[in-house]
Amino acid sequence: MSLSYIFKRLLGMIPLLLGVSLILFGVLHLAPGGPLDVYADNPSVTQEALEQMKRAFGLDQPLPVQYFRWVTAFFQGEWGFSIRTAQPVMEEVLSRVPATLMLSGSAFFLALIVALPLGILSATRRYTGVDYFITLMSFLGISMPVFWLALMLQLLFAVQWRLLPSAGMQTIGDGSLLDILRHLALPVFILAFASVAGWSRYMRSSMVEILNQDYIRTARAKGVSARRVTYSHAFRNALIPVVTVVALDSAAILSGAVITETIFAWPGLGRLFIDSMNGRDYPVLMALLMVGSFALVVSNLVADLAYSLIDPRIRYD
Amino acid sequence: MGNQIQTANSTMQKRLALGLSAAILLSGMGMAQQRGGTLTVGLGYDIDTLNVYSTGFLGDVQATVAEGLVAPNEKAEYVPVLATRVPTIQNGGIKVAADNKSMVVTYQLRPGVKWSDGKPFTSADVKFTWETVKDPKFIAESKDGTEDISSISTPNDLTVVVNYKRVAPDFKSTLFTFGILPKHTLEGKDLNTDNYNQMPLGTGPFKVTQYVKGQFVVLDRNPFYWRKDKAGVQLPYLDKMIFKIIPDSNTLVTQLKSGEIQMATSVPYSQIPQLSAQAGLKVIKNPVLSWQHLDFNLKGPAALRDINVRKAVAHGLDRATISKALGGYPIPIDTVVVPVFSYSSKDVPKYPYDPAKAKQLLEAAGYKAGSDGIRAKNGQRLSFKIMAQAGRSTDEDAQQVMIAQMKAIGIELKPDNKAGVALRDARYKGDYDLYYAGWITSADPSYGVFYSTKGVNNGQGYSNPKVDALLATADSSLDPAVRNKALRDFQTVLMQDLPTIPVTSNPSMIVLTDKLGGFVSNPTNMTNFINTSGWYMKK
Repeated sequence: MSLSYIFKRLLGMIPLLLGVSLILFGVLHLAPGGPLDVYADNPSVTQEALEQMKRAFGLDQPLPVQYFRWVTAFFQGEWGFSIRTAQPVMEEVLSRVPATLMLSGSAFFLALIVALPLGILSATRRYTGVDYFITLMSFLGISMPVFWLALMLQLLFAVQWRLLPSAGMQTIGDGSLLDILRHLALPVFILAFASVAGWSRYMRSSMVEILNQDYIRTARAKGVSARRVTYSHAFRNALIPVVTVVALDSAAILSGAVITETIFAWPGLGRLFIDSMNGRDYPVLMALLMVGSFALVVSNLVADLAYSLIDPRIRYD
Repeated sequence: MGNQIQTANSTMQKRLALGLSAAILLSGMGMAQQRGGTLTVGLGYDIDTLNVYSTGFLGDVQATVAEGLVAPNEKAEYVPVLATRVPTIQNGGIKVAADNKSMVVTYQLRPGVKWSDGKPFTSADVKFTWETVKDPKFIAESKDGTEDISSISTPNDLTVVVNYKRVAPDFKSTLFTFGILPKHTLEGKDLNTDNYNQMPLGTGPFKVTQYVKGQFVVLDRNPFYWRKDKAGVQLPYLDKMIFKIIPDSNTLVTQLKSGEIQMATSVPYSQIPQLSAQAGLKVIKNPVLSWQHLDFNLKGPAALRDINVRKAVAHGLDRATISKALGGYPIPIDTVVVPVFSYSSKDVPKYPYDPAKAKQLLEAAGYKAGSDGIRAKNGQRLSFKIMAQAGRSTDEDAQQVMIAQMKAIGIELKPDNKAGVALRDARYKGDYDLYYAGWITSADPSYGVFYSTKGVNNGQGYSNPKVDALLATADSSLDPAVRNKALRDFQTVLMQDLPTIPVTSNPSMIVLTDKLGGFVSNPTNMTNFINTSGWYMKK
């Protein structure tokens, strides 16, 4: 894998993201409603006032003109102003990034360090009580609605036992590390739980498939220890399909966890997205969607690079 | 979706001018109020801006910071705040020109009022507010009233003379009631992007000390606040107020239960039963200036122009069942003027629930039931589309009840719900058969926008010269007796014509800790927070 390969891939992202932005822009503007809808039910906002706001936001221009303006500005690092708050979009987005990274990032790593061992354990102890238990928990995790589990945990930990805060990012006036960790506990658990469930299933099935391969049987026949077979022969190969799933999921770190952030009043990008969606705040929505698309494209690249690290036979030129 | 509805709804509620209750001074009489303490309030929406003129939301937080010249109290009557009196013709505050085409309103300002940075509040600030809000460059949600003013003069620091281009009895419900902007910090700044939007400066009981986006606003006592209680104690009683942003209504309820917040307004009806059972909390039902109505499009299907059909629909509606379906909180009403107003008429023609009478009316008008139970006359079936705002659950629930009730008398209603621009378009252009929705008005409503022939919100094609004349009188007269008479007569004529069926008035539910004293709810809902200077925590 060469540097020039990475450079080429990065260069290839530009037309891809341009295409994505064109589609997103089109879809957003095709959706019914517009930023001025908040005034729709207000009998005292006059038609003149609406027209004036339209002009001020450039919403009176034809769509292609609006898109062209947006694209040129965006690539100059000028992301415009939020229609909802009148703040620079860049500032709005950046102010939410730390919270999202903290929540989704912690959940991501927690899920990773739990899911992989669980999957392996489940695969190596196939059809035992351990496997059935892990499988049961995974299906629970996959099928349980996030909001319901969150609500139950809030009731238990915050209302019944008063051990943890039910929502928010910090106690107002505190904000120490311990305080933030206490606020993180429930949402991180909820987010990680769903990922663990999914990823451990992938790990298990990938592992089971590899363990049935001839070369594993050969290795066993040659007297290689079960541990060595599992961890050096099977694990690395089993990891490849899992990496794809995990890497693509990792893009979600930057998109924010919409439901979890809303339930736990966590001020991240997911909630900014919902608020902007409800207000049809096009500049912020476009910026968030582009950040999300960028994260997805980059995580794809990272996944490809990870393959070649795990399996030296995979080479890119 | 839920949030969007909240937004639309709250935008309307924002119209309801800020309320300041005279009752704050009375409510605590006879007991010593405790000074100090913090009240944490849960907000069900994310704040966009703290500028009261540009927010698309309720002015909850803003109301604790910015004050207007006058404000409506819990009876929706205006009381003075930064002005020493509410201008009227009787007290000489309003002078109408001889040709009855313009008027001059004079405000005497309260002496000794300071901004929370210690600078004095003067008439220049009032003039500056008008100029700033009027400025086309300022993108504002509420510019109402700015165009009615031709000029403002300030003969001295405590006198404001406002020259109106027309006789505007609704002058109190706009502009200076929302709040006054500080000239000394905002002059020459771009109010669209100025830091004022995050850290507003006001004359109110509290000042913003910390605003963390998406999380909370911390407000501290304004040390320069002008108001004292009867015992001469400097207000406000509370040291601090915190507004916590909690967009999920389930979480809001959890936070009330766990004590992390001590107050929430506009709690969904469905959450109320579990909260009323909770020790330490109390629930207050606050009547707001809103009414739910079922409109007939008179430009639509011919059958809807038949008064007998409209009367049959009115008799076929069981308002009590609709209220019950929404937790029993909505109050059945017989007129479009909500009961809070003194001129809400009880003598209007009424259409009580009577399905037998409804059927009889339809029968007499020639509508016979077909094989499917739906009535028809000359091949025209009584089958209509009923529009409501998509995703607004209380309205959609009520709509379901109405569909069932109409079926029982032989009228078929098919839901045709719309959202956003589609809804607005349909409403203005009259692209519907029946429309079920709610209106919320200011404390000084103009019904002309809804029911006069040229009313901007009259998409249903209702037109009656008698109603036009009565509403024109109400909208251009400053004499309360004349206005009341015109509005009462208007209600009678409207209910005879029955272009719209008033269904219920839906109150807002406030949940708060029973430790909070001095709280007075306000029918203008979001303005509950204008009263904060008299609130105190019982120890």
